[in-house]
Amino acid sequence: MEAVLKNVGRTVELLAVAAHSGVVNEWDEQTVTRAFHWARYCEHIYSRFHGNPVIRGVLEKQLQLTNHSLKEALPEYNAVSFLDLGRCQDLLLLWLLNNSALPVSIMKMLFETKASADSTSSNYEDVRGLCSQIIQCKSACTVLRPLLGVPSVGADAEVQGEMLMERLGSALSQSSDPLRAEDFLSSVLQEFEVAAEHLCPVIAAALLTTTDSAAQTASQDFLLDWLQSRRGTLQHVCTALPSKVLADLAKRHQKFRDAFCKLLKRWASEMEYRVTEGEWVHAATSSAVSFQKMTEHYLALFEACPSLRTEMEDELNARRIADGDFDVRGLSVWGDNLLALRK
Amino acid sequence: MTELQVQQTTAHWPNVQEMPFWLEKAIAWGQTDTPHTWKDISLHLKRLRDFLQQLLTEISSVSSTTETLNRLPLLGQLLGRLCWNSHVTAEGASRGLLLQCLLALYSEHPSNAVEGKANQWIQKVLCHLATDEEDGAAVVLMKHLAVPTKEYHLNVLKKMVTRIQESIGNSRCSVSSTNKGCSCGSVWAASEACVPLITCPEASPLIGALLQQQMTCIREGLSENFLGALHSAYSRCDLLLDEQAVVSLWYQSLPSLEEAVLNLLASATAAGSTPSQVEEQVSKSLLPKACAQHCSVFLVVNDIFRTVLKQTERNERVKNVFQTFTKCFFMELSRLQPQPSASLKAFFPQSPPSLLIPLFTMPSEMPQESLKNHLMWVSSSLQRLTEEEEDDEDSDSGNIRGNHKVFEAWFLLVQCAYWVHVAVQLLVTSGPEDCGPLLWLLTFYHHPTNRWHHRASQLVQAKAAWDHLYSLFSTVAHPLPADHLQSFISLLAPKPQQPSLAPSLTLNLLVNFATFGQLPQSTSAEITQKVVHQSGLQDEAARVLSSLRLRLNDRGSFANDRVHLRIEELHNTIKKQM
Repeated sequence: MEAVLKNVGRTVELLAVAAHSGVVNEWDEQTVTRAFHWARYCEHIYSRFHGNPVIRGVLEKQLQLTNHSLKEALPEYNAVSFLDLGRCQDLLLLWLLNNSALPVSIMKMLFETKASADSTSSNYEDVRGLCSQIIQCKSACTVLRPLLGVPSVGADAEVQGEMLMERLGSALSQSSDPLRAEDFLSSVLQEFEVAAEHLCPVIAAALLTTTDSAAQTASQDFLLDWLQSRRGTLQHVCTALPSKVLADLAKRHQKFRDAFCKLLKRWASEMEYRVTEGEWVHAATSSAVSFQKMTEHYLALFEACPSLRTEMEDELNARRIADGDFDVRGLSVWGDNLLALRK
Repeated sequence: MTELQVQQTTAHWPNVQEMPFWLEKAIAWGQTDTPHTWKDISLHLKRLRDFLQQLLTEISSVSSTTETLNRLPLLGQLLGRLCWNSHVTAEGASRGLLLQCLLALYSEHPSNAVEGKANQWIQKVLCHLATDEEDGAAVVLMKHLAVPTKEYHLNVLKKMVTRIQESIGNSRCSVSSTNKGCSCGSVWAASEACVPLITCPEASPLIGALLQQQMTCIREGLSENFLGALHSAYSRCDLLLDEQAVVSLWYQSLPSLEEAVLNLLASATAAGSTPSQVEEQVSKSLLPKACAQHCSVFLVVNDIFRTVLKQTERNERVKNVFQTFTKCFFMELSRLQPQPSASLKAFFPQSPPSLLIPLFTMPSEMPQESLKNHLMWVSSSLQRLTEEEEDDEDSDSGNIRGNHKVFEAWFLLVQCAYWVHVAVQLLVTSGPEDCGPLLWLLTFYHHPTNRWHHRASQLVQAKAAWDHLYSLFSTVAHPLPADHLQSFISLLAPKPQQPSLAPSLTLNLLVNFATFGQLPQSTSAEITQKVVHQSGLQDEAARVLSSLRLRLNDRGSFANDRVHLRIEELHNTIKKQM
């Protein structure tokens, strides 16, 4: 353990040097390769121990110490957190490229582009041409993105969802205390109160990944429970996503289906009829669900889960009768719902 | 500076005029992101690469960045805009040149504010390109999950390739669904977008899927740029495609197909390649498979063969390649269709139809006793054909076009040359009464045209050769009849006055007699050695023997140990003198 702490500490110091020191000017290919090697080492340490609270604590303490002493030596230094260790190589690259003392020869090496189509992606250890490969990947993604078209969550969200599930799964398996996994989810996802519309497809994708094992099913269940316990997030998800995706989710998870149906009913009950517009409008402007959207949701739901149709229609009818059994538009939201669905 | 020097310096900078053009393009490309933009980009990509290469040369030749920027004030803008265009950065060669241009502008020791600022800007651009620092929400999530940038983007790329492949695969175009309108317009757009990704390893499944998708839809096709770029990459051996995708490429891109055929011919007819190597090259080339799957591909290939053959009638190597190719092709065809003979007419529209099935029946499929009759029939059919055409020719003197039918028949015979080889073998065991038609066939194979009516003389020579061999190999007497041997050897010598017989014809006869004749091994070897040695035809003889050995391996039922031993001995005998 001593050795690990020492190595991590040294690597963080290395990162600081890469970021701020003019010494970088004398670095050659070998030095850079070795630096990346140590960065990879830190990533490995992170992935092994991030679920282990004891060792994580020890590592975090070491980081604290190292950060402190580095801050004293270099006022412009930015502290490295435990999380950062997991992406150490990215950090190293970022700081190197931002260091004005970096020699051109190193830049040329990093951005070297092979003209022919070798299987460049498989060589994980190679630092030469690293940046060019990253650019190729990113550019290829940008080129292909418009071709996806079909309303779905998108490849980015899919990949992020898969990774979220993977991490959640390992968090759940590594400790018997569910609170840890919950903390993990909260910490990851709370950052996005601001960027909620990005978060929603990710959660949907996570819930739609195919589960091959009991552990994966357990992770999805956990996520579902978490989602249901947070009203705001659930509502946000149901507002932001297209009908088809929500319907797929409902088809896949009974819990979601129930929660979604409940939400639809609640939305409908909160609507009021505006005579001037001739439309039902949601009272609270925050959720901005239109009557038409609601109808779309229902229709998509019925297509995905045909068995639901009769049940829902009966319920809507019952509510309509309770409202006074009118057949005229504008008097009962339930009646109008039924009308729209039957068209 | 003298006038000459001024001229020289400005001559180095032709790009000064082109720069505004490219800048305008780069601006336009950045404004819209539609399939038509992509088409414009792929249309100009090669020229852009050339331009960037010129820029790079010039930037590198000037020592100071300040000077470069003075001469090319729009350079920074252009490079910057191109860096933000994913279609340009996705393609390997253009990305490489762009990055090199940027780095060439970086000054190790900036001498003024301009250079310092340029350095800063360059580093900023590079940083933005290679890291995710400014990418927003997605990146933040990945940071929390501790997923490295490269791994993330690679996974997203693979996922996209899979999803797009699925959506392409699902959009099977059915002619009846006129209401829906096929989504094949999207196939065109996808192919246009994928032009920069042709050499990207992760995208190759998608490229393959696009190539193979085309074949079900009659409406929109793949973009011309796409096919052209594929062909260029194919020529550079830069493509990573699976077998079926390559076949689809040949089916759709005529230049690629032609190049593949010519490459095969070049390597298969290279000096030193043995018959078994040729066979391996041919079957590995995937061309027989492609021909069996698409009649149109076969017709193109056959046409190329036809053209080559017209120019090299006597070249045995070339003929051998055609024969091997036809054999492989027919095998592939039999795998695809239970009754390949039914479709032969479609594959050989120009050949005399009555000859198709007889020639494409393999000797191994017939009982041994029927082989001779079969060959008699073939021989007489061909004879009739040549006589008909010659009659026409005589009445319409000087009309070369009439040779068409005979040429096509001969072309077919060349492709099915295994029958000629059976004929030669049968000549060993035939008597003087029935060797006529077989000799005619053999002579026709080696001398298809009857220019100046030489065939009669050639037939006489062929018969003479056979007579000599017949008597040489039937007498068991020792020592060998020297005069017979001498006259036979003299037949092989080229004669300036008379139309001479092709040496390969005579050699073939000799080798077959030596292998299948009744004389003891040592005597056969001795005769062969004398002949080959004195006529100086060791190489040709060795080649003939190798072909014979290969053929016997194929046929199986005709091979036996004794024959193989003889061939080995003969081979050693010939080699001894080499």
